[in-house]
Amino acid sequence: MAIVEPIVEPGTENESPYRTGSHWWQGNRFLSVQMWLTPLVIGGIWLLVYFWVAGRELDSIEQRTLNADYLLTAIGQHLRLTVVATVLVILIAIPAGILLSRTKSRTVNNAILGAANIGQAAPAIGVLALLTIIFGVGFWIAIAGLVAYTVLPVLRNTLIGIQQVDPALTEAATGMGMTPGQVLRRVELPLAVPVILAGLRTALVFCVGVATLATFVSAGGLGDIIVNGIKLQRAPVLIVGSVLTAGIALLVDWLGGVAEQTLRPKGV
Amino acid sequence: MGSFLEYLQKQYDDLLQLAWEHALVTIISVGIGAVIALTVGILVWNKPVSRAGAVAITGAILTIPSFALLGLLIPAFGLGWTPTVIALVLYSLLPITRNTVVGMREVDPAILEAGTGLGMSPWTVTMRVQLPLAWPVILTGIRVSAQLIIGIAAIAAYVLGPGLGEVIFSGLSRLGSANALNQAIAGTVGVIILALIFDAAFVLVRRLTTSRGLRA
Amino acid sequence: MPDTSPAGSAHGASIELIDLTKQYEGAAEPAVDKVSMSIPPGELVVFVGPSGCGKTTTMKMINRIIEPTSGQILIDGQDAMSLDPVELRRGIGYVIQQIGLFPHMTIGENVAVVPRLLGWDKKRTAARVDELLDIVSLDPSSFRDRYPRQLSGGQQQRVGVARALAADPPVMLMDEPFGATDPITRERLQNEFLRLQNEIRKTIIFVTHDFEEALKMGDRIAVLREQSHIAQFATPDQILADPADEYVSSFVGEGAALKRLGLVSVGTAPLQSWGEDASGLPSIPSDVTLREALGVLVGAGSDRVVVRGPDGPIGVLTMATVTSMLEGAGDGDC
Repeated sequence: MAIVEPIVEPGTENESPYRTGSHWWQGNRFLSVQMWLTPLVIGGIWLLVYFWVAGRELDSIEQRTLNADYLLTAIGQHLRLTVVATVLVILIAIPAGILLSRTKSRTVNNAILGAANIGQAAPAIGVLALLTIIFGVGFWIAIAGLVAYTVLPVLRNTLIGIQQVDPALTEAATGMGMTPGQVLRRVELPLAVPVILAGLRTALVFCVGVATLATFVSAGGLGDIIVNGIKLQRAPVLIVGSVLTAGIALLVDWLGGVAEQTLRPKGV
Repeated sequence: MGSFLEYLQKQYDDLLQLAWEHALVTIISVGIGAVIALTVGILVWNKPVSRAGAVAITGAILTIPSFALLGLLIPAFGLGWTPTVIALVLYSLLPITRNTVVGMREVDPAILEAGTGLGMSPWTVTMRVQLPLAWPVILTGIRVSAQLIIGIAAIAAYVLGPGLGEVIFSGLSRLGSANALNQAIAGTVGVIILALIFDAAFVLVRRLTTSRGLRA
Repeated sequence: MPDTSPAGSAHGASIELIDLTKQYEGAAEPAVDKVSMSIPPGELVVFVGPSGCGKTTTMKMINRIIEPTSGQILIDGQDAMSLDPVELRRGIGYVIQQIGLFPHMTIGENVAVVPRLLGWDKKRTAARVDELLDIVSLDPSSFRDRYPRQLSGGQQQRVGVARALAADPPVMLMDEPFGATDPITRERLQNEFLRLQNEIRKTIIFVTHDFEEALKMGDRIAVLREQSHIAQFATPDQILADPADEYVSSFVGEGAALKRLGLVSVGTAPLQSWGEDASGLPSIPSDVTLREALGVLVGAGSDRVVVRGPDGPIGVLTMATVTSMLEGAGDGDC
């Protein structure tokens, strides 16, 4: 349910959907159709679903779920979960990734990557189930689960990304007389920014996806709507819940992509 | 710990059956997905617009939370195997498509030209030269797909999909009972073990199917 | 050297290019502009010129790797454009600069590609593969089952040539085939290939940017300008003796006379008879060039040198003979 880590070296599939075209009005990439395509399409689909629902006679059960209050609450809960978890993941995984990239030992390196691989194999729902059975329900349990699941892939990507900085560059920097700290700050980190941004985007997408499962630990979120739809066997609820969730996830990913493009230093 | 071992002993057969189903649905879905993704990859690898489109679409699918995609499929296909397999096939597409495209592009054009120059038809060049050379990368994509699918299949159990997810959800619904933890552990660890087995299998397949001339 | 007829008995085909042109879309000028050339069977023609002059493009149009925009290509009188390109290419040997061996196939499988495409049975193919590996001086039993990555650059290049010869095509196209090796290996490969060509006499188009290589390899050389306009199309000796214009002269450079001596073997020069008074003189084998003989004469400070044949001395070469061959053949240095 989440974006896949780049198994192929990052940078090979660099076709950004936000690159501008060759027409004059596309000189400013903020105006380009390509950039706004995703939100426009999502907005369009949401409109369609809205009109479809508005045109139906909703029974009382459906009305309990398909009203503005309920939906907005669910969206709010979902976004809160996503943002808090993402911030925590970034604060943990990226410094950890940087620190771990300092070790020259190959065994430690492989051990970490190996552990990350095994950790990744644990299903998100399993992690949440274990946490809730042992510790109880609620917002922070959900956060713990989200963070636990997302930290490893972001950590791994950060580690690999920093290690992929051309060793010739770090050697040149050291040769110029920079201390290891300076090399890190002035050469490796700036060059690793694209990787870190990609990690941020990955974290966002993972979290917004797993947050749908927060419903199982009573933490609310959009998963509530979908579960309602399944339990109550009401197609409209299911469809609205799913379309809403999918749309939000795609929008979050889109925002992450925009951040990636705009925050990326020129020349990298 | 003691209760866990007891639980394992009692439920061993059931767990094995579920694990088998889990593996089966994975193999079927990744299989179908691989056929589709490989075909698409072979068709678009050298056409920039189509290529970007294929990667974008399959990528967008992957961004949709699995619960949401399943929710969309249920009104049309009900519960159980059908929406599960459809969703899993859709999710398996991106890693394989992307790696097929990248793998094909990475083959040295001089080698392809040599093949054409010798008198191979375009089909022969693609099938006998380019694909075998791109195969290691493609296989990695299939491997990533499988890992992904194993995880998503666990969630699909909520909509009566096959596999070990059922055990996890069972534990969840029995919060507070003695067996809940056992079930959660059994389900989660079971999925992890399955993932590791698949990974090992892929290492084997890679050895067996990659030409000796390619192993660096 | 194998005792049976080596690379095959098919002699070369004639090649005729008539106003061959390649125009890329959006380009102001054609990459190749109306090239016309007539090549008799069995001749090795070298296309030489600076990078970007279109020599490789012209060559690649002959087997339609690059499709011509206009003009005609006749191979043994048959219009190349009327044939299915895949069929056409199976009848033309193709050796490229980057070699392009298939890394996932063994050497044997690589060489067998075209015969298999043509439907030869396994026995015939296997025999042919071994024959060819032998011809390019690679021991079949040790190389047949190896993979390209296990071979050196020079060895890979030999396999590339063997692969091109496999189906015994009457025409061969070679694009800087020995370029990717060091000078020593390159010289060895050149010599071996010349010996081979002597026996098989295929029609070969050989592209290079190295003028010395052109002089050494070509029966005739086409010196090309931008857009593949032909500055001069003649034998090496004619080009050295009589460059058509300044452009061609710039290739020849200084020392054309010495280069021309390098084209003539000692064995073809008039020799004086060998007598007792010739003992104590330096000696050279008969298959070296006059240029090397001159070097020996100058180095030893002698005006005569003994020429050795396989069974003993066959004559004496004098400095006077060498100088007269220099003068008699035409103009001196440019």
